[in-house]
Amino acid sequence: MNIAVCICEVPDPVLPVTVTDGTPDLSRVSRIMNPYDEYAVEEAVRLKERFPGSPVTAFTVTSSGSGREALLKALAMGADRAVEVLSASLADSFQIASMLSAAIRTTFPDALPQLVCCGRESSDYRSAAVPAMLAGMLGMAYAGAVTAFRASDGVLELERETEGGVECLEACYPLVFSAEKGLNTPRKTGIRQVMEARRKPLETLHVAPPPGPLVRFCSAEPVTRKRVCRFAASPEELAGLLLRAVQGDAGEGG
Amino acid sequence: MQERGGNGMAAYLVFLEQRDGILAEASVNLWHRVQHHAVPGADRVSGFVAGPLRPGALEPLFGAGVVHHAAEERLARSSETTLSRLLAALAAREAITDIVIASTSAGKRLAPCLAQATGASLLSGCVAGGFQEPVCRRPIHCGSILVACVPEAPVRIYLQDRLPQVLFTGTEHPRSVAFDIVPHLDADEKMNPAVRSITEISRQRDISEAGIIVAGGRGMGGPEGFLLLEKLAALLGGSVGASRSAVDEGWRPHGDQIGQTGKSVSPDLYIAAGISGALQHLAGLSAARTIVAINADPDAPVFGVADYGIVGDVLAVLPRLIDVLGDVLPKK
Ligand SMILES: Cc1cc2nc3c(=O)[nH]c(=O)nc-3n(C[C@H](O)[C@H](O)[C@H](O)COP(=O)(O)OP(=O)(O)OC[C@H]3O[C@@H](n4cnc5c(N)ncnc54)[C@H](O)[C@@H]3O)c2cc1C
Repeated sequence: MNIAVCICEVPDPVLPVTVTDGTPDLSRVSRIMNPYDEYAVEEAVRLKERFPGSPVTAFTVTSSGSGREALLKALAMGADRAVEVLSASLADSFQIASMLSAAIRTTFPDALPQLVCCGRESSDYRSAAVPAMLAGMLGMAYAGAVTAFRASDGVLELERETEGGVECLEACYPLVFSAEKGLNTPRKTGIRQVMEARRKPLETLHVAPPPGPLVRFCSAEPVTRKRVCRFAASPEELAGLLLRAVQGDAGEGG
Repeated sequence: MQERGGNGMAAYLVFLEQRDGILAEASVNLWHRVQHHAVPGADRVSGFVAGPLRPGALEPLFGAGVVHHAAEERLARSSETTLSRLLAALAAREAITDIVIASTSAGKRLAPCLAQATGASLLSGCVAGGFQEPVCRRPIHCGSILVACVPEAPVRIYLQDRLPQVLFTGTEHPRSVAFDIVPHLDADEKMNPAVRSITEISRQRDISEAGIIVAGGRGMGGPEGFLLLEKLAALLGGSVGASRSAVDEGWRPHGDQIGQTGKSVSPDLYIAAGISGALQHLAGLSAARTIVAINADPDAPVFGVADYGIVGDVLAVLPRLIDVLGDVLPKK
C-alpha cells in the first residue's frame, strides 16, 4: 500500500511577520516545517515500519519554491521519496488542495494511495481546510484532527477530541486524515538521517494550474496589540476591576 | 462587494449542533445572531439539525424560519462526511446563499468538507462576525496581521468564532420540518468513518465557547496550582485554559491549550496567570475583549497586551482574589 503525506513550510513564529504594500512580507522570515505536519510524517513513517511494503511519498505545493527544506526533513524522518509541486500562484486552500489532488493523481496514475496524512492546519493561516477538501477531491473518506490512529487488518480505530471528551471512530482505507497534536512524538533526526535524505529521490512536478481561488486575501494590515495596562496595587483592587469587567457585560449569562 | 442572493436577499442556513439530543449553546447563540442580523421580510433564516432531539430541544430558538430536522437514530453521532452530504443537499434545494457554522470542534471539521461538497467560499476565523460584515477580516501569522477575505463563490460558509450574546427573544419560534435523508443516504449504507462512542472527560464549558476564561501557565508551578484557577473559574462562571508550557508539562489536557498550536478563544474576559505572553500564546487571543494578567515579573510581555494587571506571586494573589470575589459574587 502507498502512503502519501502532504506538508508545507510556514514562517518560524519567533519573529512577527510585517506588512509591505498591503501584503505580508515574508522576505526576512526563516521557514520551518509546519508543526502539525511533523505529526503527519511521523505517523506515516511509523505505519511503514509496522507494515513493510508501504512506501511513504511526501508532497508539498509551492509557488515560491520554498518547500524543499520541509521535504528534506520528511525524507530524513523516513519518507522514501518527495515530490515538489510547482504552481504559478496559490491564493487559497481550494487551490492548494486542487494542486495536491492533481499531483497525487499524476504520481499514482494506476491506484491512489490507501492513506493520505496531513497536518491539522498550517500555523500561518490556520484555515484547517486543505485536508478535508483534498479528501473530497480524491473521493476518499476523511477524518479531521486525529489524536490516535490504530491500524489492524485494514480496520482503523481513530480518536479525536471533541468538546469535553474523546470521540472514537472506526474507518477503513482509503482514507485522508489530519494529525492533531498528541497523535505521536515526532522523531529527531541526526546527521546520518540528513545525509541519507539527500540521496533519496526528490522530484519536481509541474501540473496544470488550478481553477481560480474561492477566497481572495487582500489589504493586509499590521495589528498593534499594545494596550495600556492599569496595575492594581492589591488583590482587593484587582477584584474590583474584575467585577467591573464582568458586570459590564450585559449579554453574558453564567 | 458581497452579492446577496439573486435579488439582493440572503438565505441563511445555520448548522445546529446537538450533543445528546440538546442543542449546543454555541449554535443557539449563533442562530440568534443571524436572526438579529437578518432583514425581516427579506432575508430567510433556516436551520438544520441531525439526530434525535430531547423533547423541547428546539425551544431555546426564537425567531421566524424553519428548522430542518433529520431525526434518524443513526445520525445521533454523525461524522463530518455524513453531515456535509446532507447539508449540501439541503443548501442546494433551498437555494441557500450563506451557511453559518459555530466554530466548535465538530463545526471546524464540518466546514471545509461542506465547502468542498458545495463549491462555496469558506470564511473562517473572522473577527467581529464575518457574516455580519460585507468583508471578513481575520488574523493571520500569529495574529500579527489582519487580512481581508473576499468570497468569490456565489455561496459562502462562515465558520464563526464565539460572539458576545445578543438578546433575541419574542413569541415566535421557528417551525420544525422533517428532513428526509432517504435520497441522500442508503438505508444500509456503512458510514466511513463511523463514530463509535464519545467518552466524556470534562464537564467544563469548552474554552472556545466560554465568555470568561481563567488561564494558567508555567508560573502556576504544577497541577495543584490549577486548582486555584478552577476555583476562580467556578466563581466567575468561566472555564480554565492553559499555555502550551502547562500542557507540555502534563498539567492540563491539550484541549485546554490556547495559542497558535492550540485554540483561538474569544472571551469577554481573559485572565492570564503565570503566563509570560509569548507571541504564540497571544495568537489565540486576537478576539479576547478584556485581558487581565497576574505575573511575578513586572517586565513580562503579557502586561503589554493587558488591560488590568497585578505584579505578584500567583500563589499569594489568587487565594486573596478568590476570597474577596467569593464574598461579593453569588455562588454559581
Ligand atoms: C511552533 C510553536 C508553537 C507554539 N504554540 C503555542 C501555543 O499554541 N500556545 C502557547 O501558549 N505557547 C505556544 N508556544 C510556546 C510559546 O513560545 C511559549 O513558550 C509559551 O507560551 C510559554 O508558556 P508560559 O507563559 O506558560 O511559560 P513561560 O514563558 O515559562 O512563562 C512563565 C511566566 O510565569 C511567571 N511566573 C513564574 N512563577 C510565577 C509565580 N509564582 N507567580 C506569578 N508568575 C510567575 C514568569 O514571570 C513568566 O512570565 C509555541 C512555540 C512554538 C515554537
